[in-house]
Amino acid sequence: MQTTAVQPPVPAARHRAAGMHPLENERTLGLLLMLPGVLLLTVFMAYPFFLGLWLSVTDSTIGHAGRFLGIRNFVDLLGDSIFRQTARNTFIYALVTVPFKLALGLGLALVLNADIPFRNAVRAAVLMPFIVPTALSSLGWLMIFDPIFSPVSWLLRHWGLVAHNINFLGSAVLAIVSVMIANIWRGTPFFGVTILAGLQAVPAELHDAAAIDGAGVWHRFLHVTVPIITGVMLISTLFSIIMTFADFQLIYILTKGGPANETHIFGTYAYQIGLSATEIGQGAAIALYMFPILAVLAVLLLRYLRRDVA
Amino acid sequence: MTGTRTAGRKGDRSSKAAAGTPRLSRRTLLKTAGAAALGVGALGTGPGLLRWAGAAPAVLKGTSLTTLQATYFVPAGQDLFKKQVQQWGQANGVNANADFLNWPDLQPKISAAIQAGGYDIVELWPGWNYLYADSLVDLTDMTEAYAKRDGGLEAFAAADAKVGARYLGIPHGQTNDALNYRISWLREAGANVPDPAEQARTGKILDLTWDQFFALGKKLKAAGHPIGQAFGHSQGDPPSWAYPYMWSHGAMEVERDGKTVAFNKPMFVDAVKKLVSAWKESFDETGLSWDDSSNNKAFLAGQIAATLNGSSIYAAALKDYPDIAKDMCHTMTPRGPAGRFALLGTRTLAVLKNSKNIAGAKEFLAWWFQDKQYGDWLHVQAGYNLPAMRKWAKDPMWGKDPVMYAFSKEASIGRDQGWAGPPNSKSGLAFSKYIIVDTYAKAIQSGDAAGAIKWGADQLEAIYSR
Repeated sequence: MQTTAVQPPVPAARHRAAGMHPLENERTLGLLLMLPGVLLLTVFMAYPFFLGLWLSVTDSTIGHAGRFLGIRNFVDLLGDSIFRQTARNTFIYALVTVPFKLALGLGLALVLNADIPFRNAVRAAVLMPFIVPTALSSLGWLMIFDPIFSPVSWLLRHWGLVAHNINFLGSAVLAIVSVMIANIWRGTPFFGVTILAGLQAVPAELHDAAAIDGAGVWHRFLHVTVPIITGVMLISTLFSIIMTFADFQLIYILTKGGPANETHIFGTYAYQIGLSATEIGQGAAIALYMFPILAVLAVLLLRYLRRDVA
Repeated sequence: MTGTRTAGRKGDRSSKAAAGTPRLSRRTLLKTAGAAALGVGALGTGPGLLRWAGAAPAVLKGTSLTTLQATYFVPAGQDLFKKQVQQWGQANGVNANADFLNWPDLQPKISAAIQAGGYDIVELWPGWNYLYADSLVDLTDMTEAYAKRDGGLEAFAAADAKVGARYLGIPHGQTNDALNYRISWLREAGANVPDPAEQARTGKILDLTWDQFFALGKKLKAAGHPIGQAFGHSQGDPPSWAYPYMWSHGAMEVERDGKTVAFNKPMFVDAVKKLVSAWKESFDETGLSWDDSSNNKAFLAGQIAATLNGSSIYAAALKDYPDIAKDMCHTMTPRGPAGRFALLGTRTLAVLKNSKNIAGAKEFLAWWFQDKQYGDWLHVQAGYNLPAMRKWAKDPMWGKDPVMYAFSKEASIGRDQGWAGPPNSKSGLAFSKYIIVDTYAKAIQSGDAAGAIKWGADQLEAIYSR
């Protein structure tokens, strides 16, 4: 006759004493799981950031380690008229494009949220500007703005609306307006899709109740929809400001900061000074001028997100 | 960017040869090296270039070599260089690659390569040898042997190829530059345009002052085909106009001492005022956003009658637009009160100190600068490159096509960036920051020539006073 002995439960302490596998320890496992992320952040974010920080306080040039200068690069830049113009351009570029992107993105989201034919296909299509690599779409804009072969100029000339090709990227005002149009085109789908996600979280019952109470479309939008999607819009806006401030590819491909530095923003000017003019210390200082602005925005963003979590 | 990956590793050479891949044997290489290589014995066992005798050392087998150059506006030259790199790689068991980048992207890429590696041989444009001096291998022995063999350096190359007492790259010349024009349109506008053959025979070119050129442009623009000139952020055509126009009106970045900024000169202010007026009357006004390729496209599309450019427009016209090729010619840059000038310094092929294959890079350069390889490369571009060595000025290539005559005279009026001061890292910095080019762009945009020149002078002071 066989007997089955019932094993008493083993206390946790005895497990440890018996040499529990380290991966069964939550603390160890947690640290191990975080390690790849920490390594990635250290190698690709922290190291370049601190290296940039160090370079910005030296007179380093390409291939030549520099001496410590303190904040002289930052002070010198304030006396550089191209830098002042670059700072002005960056603020104009970001502060003009973001409201347009927000407004157009909101409109886009409302249309996509409505019951329209081929809704899913349309939703996928409007994401294209955001999905296509910026370098590629910028080349498309370069063709549209081409001083000689622009299809827009060609059409307007053939319709008799203009006498000469439009100087999209050559005139001071038109150049920055043109690059902003391309930026708005690229950035609007980000707002559209993000706000669309917010819109889908609006309970239909609230709209129905408001409608029963006699609220029209506009009032339902203003008093039901907007309060619910405000958080999403705020986060999208902060993200977009950060991305627009740190833009590079679009401007580099379209104008390289020209003509006469009218379209230089921090990223392109830092690249020109750091890599073309080989003054990598000063180039790093130009790029780091963005840091306080972006840091404030990032803190606001994080505080808002934490408030939501709480 | 275009790139060529050449299979040439030790293990696959035989299989590639068996598969019919063209392969240059050492024996063939020895033959094709020509008389210069055979002259090694006669000149003794000198170092560098002349030591090369047809085959790289076996120790190079299995190594890699990557070159980086600007894209060629005469594509046949790029194709040939790529092929030459492949040939050398296959013959020597080296995994050899040739990469090419758009002109404005070349310098940032070289800067990145100096910081992070990735290239062995890079093409330096004038002034960059000063900017990157600490990161380049000293090639003085090779260059001096090469210059001795080929009759010495042309004046324009001698001025800037050497950094102090050292050559940090071997000079291979510079793309040419002259005023490209449509013969029939200029004649219709009243210019006394010589027949190309007569021009080459008599040496009497279409001789224009800047004022005459602008006046001609006014008539040309009225007829629907203006002058075209780029003033965007690009390192070829915009400075090729900006520097000569400045010099021919008595201004310069700095005096001969290399310190005293001499940019804000009354004669130059007046000249830029004239340009501002002429921009509306004589030029295609979209030129402020043009890059190095824009005027080529506009000329070949029949939209402009004249532009400063290399012979790449003519090369493309010969290939694809024969009617335009028959109706075009070149003349030297217009002259001003202070003379006639061209922006001209030499490019060099340099070896990066952080290269993992310095020996292979030197061997490749020693091979490539032999008459056969270098000569083929020059000839396939039909004069688009002005050679750095005097020997090539007598090459029969120059007399073949009278339309190319003006380019053969360019070296005589060439000055390098920074002139009248010496080319150095400061002139290189001013060039990379587009200070001279942007002065014109600012003046044209604002209409304030004096203000724009003052801005340029302030920027130059900031650079040269450091």
